[in-house]
Amino acid sequence: MTDNSSPRIDVRALSLSYGKVEVLQSLSLPIERGKITVLAGPNGCGKSTLLRAIRRLHKPTAGGIFLEEVDISRLGDKALARQIGLLAQSPSAPEDMTVEELVRLGRYPHQSMLQPWSPDDASALESAMAGTGVSALRHRRLGSLSGGQLQRVWIAMVLAQQTNVVCLDEPVNHLDMAHQLDCLDLVRQLKNAFGRTVVLVLHDLNLAARYADHLVFLRDGAIAAAGTPEALMTEENIARVFDVEARVITDPVHNRPLCIPINTIRP
Amino acid sequence: MTVNIQFCEPILNTQSADRQFLSPHIVYAALLLALVAVVLISICVGYRIYSIDQVWRAVVAFDGSETSVVIANLRLPRAIIAPLMGAGLGIAGVLVQTLSRNRIASPDTLGINAGASLGVVIASFWFGVSSLTGLSIAAATGALAASVLVFAIASSAGGLSPLRIVLIGVTFAGLGHSLVEVVLSTNEAQLSQLLFWLSGAFVDRPIALAQTGGPIIVLGAVIAIFLALPLDALQADDSTAIGLGVPLVLVRGLSFLAVSLLTGAAVSMAGPVGFIGLVVPHIARWLVGLSHRRLIPAAALIGAIYATLADVVARFVVYPAEAPVGAITAVVGGIALLVLLKRRAA
Amino acid sequence: MTEMLPTAAKHRSAMSLGAIVAVFGVLSLSTVAFGSTWIPFDQIVGVILGAGEKTQRIIVLQLRLPRVVMAILAGGGMAVAGFLLQKITRNSLASPGVLGVIDGAALGVVIFLALLSNESNALVTSIAYQPVAATIGAFLAITLVFMLSGRQASSAIRLLLFGIAVAAVAKALTVIFMLIGPIYRATQAQRWLAGAVNEVNWGEIQVTAIAILPIMVLALLAARRLPPADLDETSARSVGLNLPVFRILIFALAAALTALSVAFVGAVGFIGLMAPHLARLLVGRNVYAGIIASFLLGAIFLVGADMIVRVLFAPLEVPAGTVTAIIGAPYFLFLLMGKQRNDG
Repeated sequence: MTDNSSPRIDVRALSLSYGKVEVLQSLSLPIERGKITVLAGPNGCGKSTLLRAIRRLHKPTAGGIFLEEVDISRLGDKALARQIGLLAQSPSAPEDMTVEELVRLGRYPHQSMLQPWSPDDASALESAMAGTGVSALRHRRLGSLSGGQLQRVWIAMVLAQQTNVVCLDEPVNHLDMAHQLDCLDLVRQLKNAFGRTVVLVLHDLNLAARYADHLVFLRDGAIAAAGTPEALMTEENIARVFDVEARVITDPVHNRPLCIPINTIRP
Repeated sequence: MTVNIQFCEPILNTQSADRQFLSPHIVYAALLLALVAVVLISICVGYRIYSIDQVWRAVVAFDGSETSVVIANLRLPRAIIAPLMGAGLGIAGVLVQTLSRNRIASPDTLGINAGASLGVVIASFWFGVSSLTGLSIAAATGALAASVLVFAIASSAGGLSPLRIVLIGVTFAGLGHSLVEVVLSTNEAQLSQLLFWLSGAFVDRPIALAQTGGPIIVLGAVIAIFLALPLDALQADDSTAIGLGVPLVLVRGLSFLAVSLLTGAAVSMAGPVGFIGLVVPHIARWLVGLSHRRLIPAAALIGAIYATLADVVARFVVYPAEAPVGAITAVVGGIALLVLLKRRAA
Repeated sequence: MTEMLPTAAKHRSAMSLGAIVAVFGVLSLSTVAFGSTWIPFDQIVGVILGAGEKTQRIIVLQLRLPRVVMAILAGGGMAVAGFLLQKITRNSLASPGVLGVIDGAALGVVIFLALLSNESNALVTSIAYQPVAATIGAFLAITLVFMLSGRQASSAIRLLLFGIAVAAVAKALTVIFMLIGPIYRATQAQRWLAGAVNEVNWGEIQVTAIAILPIMVLALLAARRLPPADLDETSARSVGLNLPVFRILIFALAAALTALSVAFVGAVGFIGLMAPHLARLLVGRNVYAGIIASFLLGAIFLVGADMIVRVLFAPLEVPAGTVTAIIGAPYFLFLLMGKQRNDG
């Protein structure tokens, strides 16, 4: 399964409402396989909702999400979980759970009642922990870890799930600068080393510009712009989407656009 | 795919060695031995103390003597009902604590026990149900209604917050007890009898109770074991669990069913004995860790031992009278709860 | 929350208070009037003032008035206790019931009866000491809860959990003492524990009144310094409110009121929870109005509950505490459902 190239995800005319409020409006978005797609936008634009809809945490009111032409609403829970993994925005687990116990959870979609722990599961667990560098912490309680370490463990869990598509919902919001880089470099390795498709929601525009292969701006539940970071990060786009007057330069170290906010624009 | 790529700096473990658990088989064996010992004690020891061969003779070669009668009709039933009921409540406790993501929840503090009692009381007083099967069903129905109501109310207006669940449960328990009293006061003759039962007791229980209650508890336990893997995943937040492919509604629904069967059967056998479902999961976790495939059997064994022990203690704490077992478990459980709270272990 | 002009709010508050007093008056008189023979209001007043014919005097003064007066005192006392607790913990879900105070008081009474009765089930000391035992029990319980919770006391949920634990132990010990003491007259004891106003006499009322009224006065005096419910812990401290000693005083008053209410009447739940809420809804945030309204509403609840018992369940004596629970519990749950803010 994981030797094939990642499937292509297609969001087609997706509409979603919470009660009476329409959060996503007939959104269409192709997500390229094997690349990092970053969803960005101001608060309330629907980026997290879109990500969660892709992982079928919410039911759309219209339209659908297609995984290699298969409507995901037709897949069983475990089948879908073997294809798309999710690191939720504020994940939680008991403080006294050990690192190994948490990473093990990633194998849930592969486990069966009759053989709850197969050799495949064991090797997936080991490579996930080794890959994220947390093997030495396997018996540590989650409550005793630092924020950065904990986030690595959660990524290990998603890694153990061995899905072709990995979704991460604002994974670095609460981390300090060093751990933000740590975490996103790790995410980039998911693409580089394993060819996974990564869909990322990021709050920080500059981080988005730096790590995205494909960048999507959302505003008010619709796509405002989509393309490469270079194409999207223009002063007009930033003003239009984020209500911020900014200067855009090229980051001399990474050769990516860098946004310097100047003023808020009253709409 | 077993590619062992290390693509980032491994983190070194700078803390001292963490506690690792004993092999579960050792733990199970030890618990099983302890259970057998405690059951034997329960049969032999009480208002009078009997020896092992007296017990053996009473079981194998019943001769109608007073000793045999006491052993066969009084001691033996309790020694079977107590561990069954303890096992049931222990497993129910594990389920409730996982479902509510709250280590202080338990079937009694969530009012589920009270719901079961209410079911029994209503069935026997208002509908005149007297068959044991009927009462067990009534208890399970009451437990189910209570658990659904508690969780429904707790989840409304956002999230199963621990505060909300605890308050709702306490209120439910209080309401359940009051309703039981209303029904009871319409039938005063049996009030004093039921007062004892309402505190939970194993005394004067016919063995037939175990014959109806036992299979229900086994059924509940089987359902629980089936749910062991998804329950592990449910310890994480809802979004993560869904992301892992856990069918939340189905798993929760089946868990409620299991909790109701277990609690219902336990209450119909011995009345609402409290705090077993609170303390036992903690002990089980301490012994075998968080994986439900180990937690559930461990909780069953520990619950069985705990209930049987409490029953023995109940015979001596106000000797020669008998205290209701529920009072013993409440004192021990209450103190345990205080200790847990102090250590912020919950 | 609608903003009202201060004077408009005061007017509304005064009117509500007036309405409550009126309801209280009518209900109390009705409860005395109601029975196998209906006694008109004017004749009741006449009896109280000293006139009236003999059988009427007996019915009013010996049978009906005592339970109404006791219900007023106990219901009002519990309500004010709840008001004080909710104010001082800044948590509208606190009440004497959830903090283990009632169960502590009950345990105190049961131990008192168990230790101080002789073989023929008669008390060897004066009944006047029963509320003392209840108060000691209540104090010990609430002290235990706060001492044990220590630093965790500022969190509502931790406090409540400690209260539940202490209450559970107290309840269990109560059962055990009921068994070993000569008071294992299960029916009576059980009913008392459930909260019943039907068997009080004037002696008990005197004791209760003499104790409750000064405490109420103290509560009103202390009320000036009660922290507003919407300030968080840090802000309240920085404004100089909520000093530790003051806190202890308020808890002590609440415990005493609860104990006195419970001493002769048994464990009547939910009044301490519902009455302060309704009081706030009706008369607003003024503390004095809140205390008075709570007292009256608590009295109304218990008198009303007792009335319901007499009307609906006669000749059975369903404990009034059961009725308050049956009304109070769903109300509480309804409250929880609507509660969006989380002070956990």
